[in-house]
Amino acid sequence: MILAIETATTACAIGLADGDRVVEALLAEDRRHVEVLTPGIGALLARAGADASALTRIVVDRGPGLYTGLRVGVATAIALADATGAELVAVTSLEVYAAAAAARGVCGALVAVVDGRRGEVFAQRFALDDEVVALDAPRVLRPRDLAIAWATDGTPVTFVGDGVVRYASDLGAVPNATGLALAWPPPASALARAAGRASGPVHPLYLREADAVANFTTRDRP
Amino acid sequence: MRVLGIETSCDETGAAVVATGWRLESSVVESSMDQHRDFGGVVPELAGRAHVATIGPTVRAALAGAGLDARHPGLDAVAVTTGPGLVGSLLVGLAAAKAYALAWGVPLVAVNHLEGHLYAPLLETPDLAWPVLTLLVSGGHTQLVLVEGPGRFRVLGETIDDAAGEAYDKVARWLGLGYPGGPPIDALAAGGDPHALALPVSMTGEGLDFSFSGLKSAVVRAGERHPVAAADVAAAFQGAVVEQLTRKLRQALGRVEVAGVALAGGVAANRALRAATAALAAEFGVAAHLPSPAYCTDNGAMIAAAGLVHLGAGDLADPACGADPNWALGA
Ligand SMILES: [Zn+2]
Repeated sequence: MILAIETATTACAIGLADGDRVVEALLAEDRRHVEVLTPGIGALLARAGADASALTRIVVDRGPGLYTGLRVGVATAIALADATGAELVAVTSLEVYAAAAAARGVCGALVAVVDGRRGEVFAQRFALDDEVVALDAPRVLRPRDLAIAWATDGTPVTFVGDGVVRYASDLGAVPNATGLALAWPPPASALARAAGRASGPVHPLYLREADAVANFTTRDRP
Repeated sequence: MRVLGIETSCDETGAAVVATGWRLESSVVESSMDQHRDFGGVVPELAGRAHVATIGPTVRAALAGAGLDARHPGLDAVAVTTGPGLVGSLLVGLAAAKAYALAWGVPLVAVNHLEGHLYAPLLETPDLAWPVLTLLVSGGHTQLVLVEGPGRFRVLGETIDDAAGEAYDKVARWLGLGYPGGPPIDALAAGGDPHALALPVSMTGEGLDFSFSGLKSAVVRAGERHPVAAADVAAAFQGAVVEQLTRKLRQALGRVEVAGVALAGGVAANRALRAATAALAAEFGVAAHLPSPAYCTDNGAMIAAAGLVHLGAGDLADPACGADPNWALGA
């Protein structure tokens, strides 16, 4: 069985693949990752008539996204993999969003947009034709700058992600743009995206230096 | 019974295995302190990131050190610090602990970090006699606790403002000694004259609470009036801190019947405090438990020891529990 762990947004979700059968469970939407994640995994395994020893592979979203959520997801995945001997495989939130859009029939130019907080988004461009192909690296930028980049270009584009909801006013101003709001990257898409991918050590993808975060915190203080 | 203890409340990632009889089978600690020095304090985001990077290797090393198979360790519980501490750090240890517990099919035990410190002396003196009067002194806490036995304790006094370690950090910053302030002041004080600077002795009352916030300003004021050598400032400051701590310890010893006194927490590694506590214990004819510096500072072994106490009492955590960054001792 393959488990997918999703904690890159305020939501906590999991998916379990048993052969071709995939079940997903949304465990919480309000940042309670540490509370709900492991009990949720135990419950989903029990529903499948299995326990953790049945896990052969663990797919974890390493971000970018909500830092505390990512740490809970990655720490849980590392511990589960060590304790069960399951393979550990990473996906990014942005590629899972792109795969989810493709699964929903989206074609052509796509930008995955994850809420980065502090007035910024994490974004990456993809081309969705026969396959999901990344066109650049994940980056952090202001939603307005992302909108301007696409407005000057003018080609039809789909924005997908939780950032689409939060920054609807910025991204909605782009001509020929369509928004696909998904509050969290679907674990089923993570499982599909990770198929055949090599396993290895996993670290959260923060996209910001920790001291920059520390400086933000200092600056934000009244 | 055999318990894995996980500690991630601040900048140390700790994992250890302790068995019935307070038998320490392994203890591994990784610290991210080197990353915090330049900031003059522990940066929560840096600490959180470091814990994610070290939690897996630290637990793996602790299991291997105890000769246990990571997939079938034969443990009876996983104990983890759930507070007090930095929430972003606590979450990493708690997430991992829950996952290990699920995978191994064993219960989870939630441990108060400060209670963990109280059991550190057991790791080196498994047969110690209770009750013990423990002075818990660190960068975040200063408390005087009467420990009647494992699981039974009472806070007799605590700081009403800064923790002792915090006062060390502030004075060290003023002297330009870097962070954390304890070790450099302790080293510098050895070559200084504690009487070169007259510092007020605060909290002379009968209460068992502490106060350190006035001491730093007094050091600055006195130092500005008469230029004194940094070594003398360090010696005078350290003398005043140790004097206040041991005076309260002495007052408490006059009121409660104990078999020993103990030091716990990072400041318990301070040589002057250890010497003064040993002298006081000798004077009262009780045992002095001065844990090795490795068990004074944060570690997984003391959390595993606390885990054994709670497991023995059937006090298991709800698998859906969260972290409590402000969990008070005894609450
Ligand atoms: Zn501590």
